[in-house]
Amino acid sequence: MVEFLQFLVPGILIGGVYALLASGLGLIFGVMRVVNFAQADFMMLAMYLSWALFAGGFGLDPFLAVPAVFVLFLVLGMAVHWLFIRFVIGKRENHDAQVILTIGLGLIFQNLILIRYSSEPRVVAPSYANAGDFIGDIFISRVRLYAFLLSVLVAALLFLFLNRSRTGRAIRAASENWEAATYMGIDIDRTNRIAFGVGVALTAVGGSALVTFQSITPFVGFRFVVVMFAAVVLGGLGSVSGAFVGGVLIGIIQSVSQVWTSAAVKNVWVFALFLLILYVRPNGLFGKVQRAI
Amino acid sequence: MLEISDLCAGYGGVPALRSIDFRVGQQEHVAILGPNGAGKTTLLKTISGTVEADSGSIRLDGQDLRSQAPHKRVEAGIVHVPQGRMIFASMTVADNLRLGGHRRTARDRHDERRELVLEIFPALADMLGRDGGALSGGQQQMLAVARGVMACPRLLMLDEPSMGLAPRAADDIFEGIARLLKSETTAMIVVEQRAHEALEVCDRAYVLESGEVALEATNRELLADETLAATYLGSGHDRRRNSGTKPWSRCAPPSPRPPAQC
Repeated sequence: MVEFLQFLVPGILIGGVYALLASGLGLIFGVMRVVNFAQADFMMLAMYLSWALFAGGFGLDPFLAVPAVFVLFLVLGMAVHWLFIRFVIGKRENHDAQVILTIGLGLIFQNLILIRYSSEPRVVAPSYANAGDFIGDIFISRVRLYAFLLSVLVAALLFLFLNRSRTGRAIRAASENWEAATYMGIDIDRTNRIAFGVGVALTAVGGSALVTFQSITPFVGFRFVVVMFAAVVLGGLGSVSGAFVGGVLIGIIQSVSQVWTSAAVKNVWVFALFLLILYVRPNGLFGKVQRAI
Repeated sequence: MLEISDLCAGYGGVPALRSIDFRVGQQEHVAILGPNGAGKTTLLKTISGTVEADSGSIRLDGQDLRSQAPHKRVEAGIVHVPQGRMIFASMTVADNLRLGGHRRTARDRHDERRELVLEIFPALADMLGRDGGALSGGQQQMLAVARGVMACPRLLMLDEPSMGLAPRAADDIFEGIARLLKSETTAMIVVEQRAHEALEVCDRAYVLESGEVALEATNRELLADETLAATYLGSGHDRRRNSGTKPWSRCAPPSPRPPAQC
């Protein structure tokens, strides 16, 4: 039992970070039906920013840098929407353009970072990087606990934003029915821009939460892109809370499966469950949309 | 107030509106009648901006509307209650109403508007906490109209508010609209298949056919003239007997005509 909990608790902790990463992807897809293949590369950029702020002489703690990362990536996301994404939104035949555009952006980000910082792995190690606490017999890593608490906090703020603010309500309305939202006087281009910015910023904050226990390379996105997409599809396309549940679920499975099998095959279990859930519920756990592309 | 002249619009090169002239006066109530596929919904969408006009002009108080984005037209006071209700199913009735009042001028008057709306449709008062998707068709239609009224419209456009409803539920909607018009001085356009109910709350009517204005008349002229009534409103009050004739043959495709100057 103790062994099981020893795997379950870290699974929940990392699952919270996956949830945060996936919620950004899920929000963007839910609102504007754009599958953003560059999402994990925004995460990578945020990790490099956190590293630069920490190691580049400022010595800024990655968790304290989160507000700055959020604001910067909110602006970056809105700019990317304004410069590129808005031109490929809406019409059915634009799906090819969306895929090519977002994959292309991701490749450009990766290679710009590669040119600037090389492929050498970077590490952010604050003084408490290896610290932890025992609760009963279970060891809880300090940085993973902080990452999890950060995810919960951001999730709560996201919930409040979407449900309690005028802009959040407008975003939800536009994601449910853009035509009806237009008739309410909602500026769809504006809600899309804000949703894209917030979506990118959510994933970026997830990246900042990861840097304390995940080394950074220009291609670190590949390690997480699959998890992010699986979480979004598992939770149900178009549902932000679904993406959250999907993320936590994947974290738990990855970790708990190590009780019985090697860590090397942890993603096999993730995708076995993935297929099983999609077999039983083709739209995912909380899905609203049948297909993305 | 609203003046449309020589308006043409269509979908992917197929014309749906051909050289429409149409106007709504200050506080006037206008019905748009006509068979399916005549262009009634397209006309409303062209006014609210979700369908782009190909040519012609749309003016509100002399200001050009065609160059304005759809949400700007709502800010100007044009509020469209679309066909098929389009309520936000996953949101509560209260949130739906709040979104109806998204328009800047309506924001500060939310409580006052909600009171009015609940007087018009008292049935909604008990459902404020329920999800829109959990309502019956009639209740959803009430919500759709109520959501439009929340915006303090200067021109309220109702697209087939009785569509798909049982006669009782449709009566409730029209009673609500009648109550609304007693307390509000908004101008209104109603697109309806139930022509008699529409004419009861309207001053004037346009009949559209194949994307053109086939007839423009006051409701008194329409109701008084038996041939007009028979042709355009369904003979006497029995529409079925007439279902073979031109304007009301509801499923007939629009007759192929040479496109006008569109």
